[in-house]
Amino acid sequence: MKNIRNFSIIAHIDHGKSTLADRMIQRCDMVTDREFKDQLLDSMDIERERGITIKSQTICLPYTARDGVTYTLNLVDTPGHVDFSYEVSRALSSCEGALLLIDAAQGVEAQTLANLYLAMENDLEIIPVINKIDLPAAEPEKVARSIEEDLGLDRESIRLCSAKTGEGVDELLEAIVTLLPPPEGDPEQPLEALIFDANYDPYRGTVISVRIVNGRVRAGDQILFMSNNAAYRVEEVGLFRLNREPQKELTAGQVGYIIAGVKTVSDTRPGDTITHQQRPCPAPLPGFREVQQVVFSSIYPISTDDYEDLASALEKLKLNDAALTFQKDSSAALGFGFRCGFLGLLHLEVVQERLEREFGISLILTVPTVKYRFYLRDNTMQEIDNPAYFPDPATIERIEEPFIKATIHIPERYMGAVMSLCMERRGENTNYHYPMPGRIEFTCELPLAEVIYDFYDRLKSVTQGYGSFDYELIDYRPSDLVKLDILVNGEQVDALSQLIHRMHARERGLKACESLKREIPRQMFKIAIQAAVGGNIVARTNISALRKDVTAKCYGGDISRKRKLLEKQKAGKKRMKTVGNVEIPQRAFLSVLKSDQ
Amino acid sequence: MNGPRSRPGPLGLYLHLPFCRAKCPYCDFYSLAGRTDLVSAYLDALARQAHHMAELPWTGSRQVSTIFFGGGTPSILAPAELAGLLALCRRLFPVPAAGVETTVEVNPATVERRALDLLRRAGFNRVSIGVQSLDDRLLGRIGRVHTAADAVRTVRSARQAGFANLGLDLMYGLPGQDLATWRRTLEQALALVPDHLSLYELTLEEGTPFARRAAAGELLLPDEEEVLAMMALGRELAEGAGLHRYEISNYARPGHECRHNINYWQNGSYIGLGAGAVSCLSGRRLTAVADVEAFCRRLAAGEPVWSDEERLTPAARFRETVVMGLRMIRGVDLAGLEARFGMDARSHYGPTLERLLDQGLLAVRDGRLCLTGQGLPLANRVMAELV
Ligand SMILES: Nc1nc2c(ncn2[C@@H]2O[C@H](COP(=O)(O)OP(=O)(O)O)[C@@H](O)[C@H]2O)c(=O)[nH]1
Ligand code: SF4
Ligand SMILES: [Mg+2]
Repeated sequence: MKNIRNFSIIAHIDHGKSTLADRMIQRCDMVTDREFKDQLLDSMDIERERGITIKSQTICLPYTARDGVTYTLNLVDTPGHVDFSYEVSRALSSCEGALLLIDAAQGVEAQTLANLYLAMENDLEIIPVINKIDLPAAEPEKVARSIEEDLGLDRESIRLCSAKTGEGVDELLEAIVTLLPPPEGDPEQPLEALIFDANYDPYRGTVISVRIVNGRVRAGDQILFMSNNAAYRVEEVGLFRLNREPQKELTAGQVGYIIAGVKTVSDTRPGDTITHQQRPCPAPLPGFREVQQVVFSSIYPISTDDYEDLASALEKLKLNDAALTFQKDSSAALGFGFRCGFLGLLHLEVVQERLEREFGISLILTVPTVKYRFYLRDNTMQEIDNPAYFPDPATIERIEEPFIKATIHIPERYMGAVMSLCMERRGENTNYHYPMPGRIEFTCELPLAEVIYDFYDRLKSVTQGYGSFDYELIDYRPSDLVKLDILVNGEQVDALSQLIHRMHARERGLKACESLKREIPRQMFKIAIQAAVGGNIVARTNISALRKDVTAKCYGGDISRKRKLLEKQKAGKKRMKTVGNVEIPQRAFLSVLKSDQ
Repeated sequence: MNGPRSRPGPLGLYLHLPFCRAKCPYCDFYSLAGRTDLVSAYLDALARQAHHMAELPWTGSRQVSTIFFGGGTPSILAPAELAGLLALCRRLFPVPAAGVETTVEVNPATVERRALDLLRRAGFNRVSIGVQSLDDRLLGRIGRVHTAADAVRTVRSARQAGFANLGLDLMYGLPGQDLATWRRTLEQALALVPDHLSLYELTLEEGTPFARRAAAGELLLPDEEEVLAMMALGRELAEGAGLHRYEISNYARPGHECRHNINYWQNGSYIGLGAGAVSCLSGRRLTAVADVEAFCRRLAAGEPVWSDEERLTPAARFRETVVMGLRMIRGVDLAGLEARFGMDARSHYGPTLERLLDQGLLAVRDGRLCLTGQGLPLANRVMAELV
């Protein structure tokens, strides 16, 4: 066990995390050059493009150190967005140490701070690493000072490297071995294994990523998931080399995988504890939380013919994405679709992009909503996350909405801007303190509904990228919630309804009307667009009738080109949804969804 | 595809002369300004292409029913050059002895009386004059290099030269134009007693200077209501002068409808000669490379001139024929369509067609499917459902 090091790399986007990981993999002779493909750890397209990692990835590297001993280095790559901060914290808790990677030219950027704080919360040993020292603009000295002063990390522990040229990577590997503590744990104790991720393999079912905290596990064992008492028989255990490498057993301190006939990833829960059925541990590992979907939206195929494809695409995504939930939904305007639950807006966007890109389905999404609690006059309570189920207002006693506690780390100078952003979003109970000179940890209680749209983007913009943001759900509080309906020529378009605070109803209604006016092409009659709360119109606009659409000239030489234009017009029409007699393009639905920006 | 067809139908012969004095800022036709140096090489190339086309079994055997020299500005060429080209066409392609409609497009101020005499004597019997406007201020704004007086003089000269079939092109919806200026232009044009009138709404064609300026908000264009009023006024005055509307933008004294163009709207067959010209024969549509120099080079080297070939399925051709036919006021003959394609419009389009009929955008009159008065200004909307 003393020859194992479990660690993770924390970095602001583009500071070189993936490149460094690749370099370490090469250094440890894991891949031949032929197999080598840049950025081995980022596999999905979307992740590569956006530089986000959605799932954890783990690789186990054999490293022979200068002391002649061969160590096992487990590099756990974590997702890097606030939507996934619970997943990050579980992945971090499987490690003893972390490399905090900082670009020598860019310096400390605070987007990574949230993860640094998570690492500190998990008591990880941290090695600050200044990367890209090969760059002419590199200022390692200045960055080192800021690491010491701004982050309060020990200057002695700082390492320099260039992930690109490989310079310093050997010293870094040495530092991992010498500075990071080996895992603790007792192989003879009852089994305690922390689930920190799970991936779907079409041939083997779910491959569960675990950190063995105590005890040992091998094929044939009867195991138990402590959160739900589900029992399985272990089929295989092993290590994450470039491919999975079966082992006789995994013992305390190791990071590896368990395959145990678990059908889908959703049957596992990150943070859950695995133990033996026969000899269970006394209590689960701390920190477990059920995954909570906080954002809900309905997804409809533009073409109703694609419904079956959408259903099977969601099934496929779900195999590997336990956080995604969906159930059948239907709309008068859009036909059949699915009500889906997400961890946050980024998660929603990732799912949407994958559906459109990997499965080729064009979609319409409804306005994302949080889950509200409706207390009715008959003394019942209903949880509602879909405007379609908004109860008759006469039956409502009161409504509550979820609140979060936001934790925001910022350099002191952004305090004013962040404070007013929070006030704009109905923030309350603000609080702050200085974890270190010049830095503020700001907390604020906010309605979740106010942060799911563009809060994080706005925060990044008002802090010029220096604001880190993390949140946890705290409680439900009374809300003056209304349902905003959109009517097109007097007909309510159910897919455009949204649940919002009364305070924002008029403004949001106006924006929705304007977006629709911009995006709905003129038709052969006048179109009235209205936004209404209850029966009251809060905003309205009109799209005048189209009077003229005719091509002046068409002779022999133009026939093909003009025909193609008409065909394009025809194809555009097919991508529209007809509500009453009005044709509404997909863009129009999306524009309402985005009307906050 | 080989041998004569069971129903030959008309065959148009079009000759493209892509040279202009200056490029008009709204025009997206293929034409070159200020490159008359290329003319003689182009004439050689045209002759080669004509020989080549005439030798094809499926063109050579058919009688040509109309001839049209268009551009560009054909009248930039010397009358003798145009006469030579026409003589060549008549020699190479079978043209009935009685003569056929033979049109030449001219722009005011590019031809004088003598030139028109020569053209008439060479065998052109129809002249189409690109007047566009009779308001000098507007002509300047749309980049035309002639004046209203030039236009009037050209019309008179053409009449004197013996052109009994004379057409004028006018444009409306121009920047800075209002209903009153349009009325004056129409009245002055009608006072010249044309046999044919084309009234074109300005179209902002992608990639033209006008389209760019309009996008940048630099063109003060009349609004939709005003353009509709111009459209209505054009029709009212033209019909008052005995020119009936037979196509979306075209009016004629009875018997003077342009047969060459009607053949396009009937989706008939035609041979196109020249750079960028399109030929449509036996269900194939071929486009010659739209570049004078490449056109000349390829013909000189004995290479094919086509840059595009399109061959539609019978159903697509059927639909295209319906859409094109709807440009004509009398519409498409349903029985004729069925005889030609073996397809019945009502069953092919099903409920879509019924709806358009119900909405009053289309009507069936005397066995012909046509756009209604309500449907005409929205023609593209209707066509987009039928294409
Ligand atoms: N010059 C230089 N460029 C580097 C170095 N490390 C990474 N990069 C480049 O920085 C960019 C971002 O690297 P990547 O590993 O994708 O960053 P990540 O977003 O943290 O995973 C890529 O273009 C890399 O090639 C380095 O040490 N020196
Ligand atoms: S003269 Fe005719 S062809 Fe030439 S540029 Fe002007 S509009 Fe176009
Ligand atoms: Mg990366």
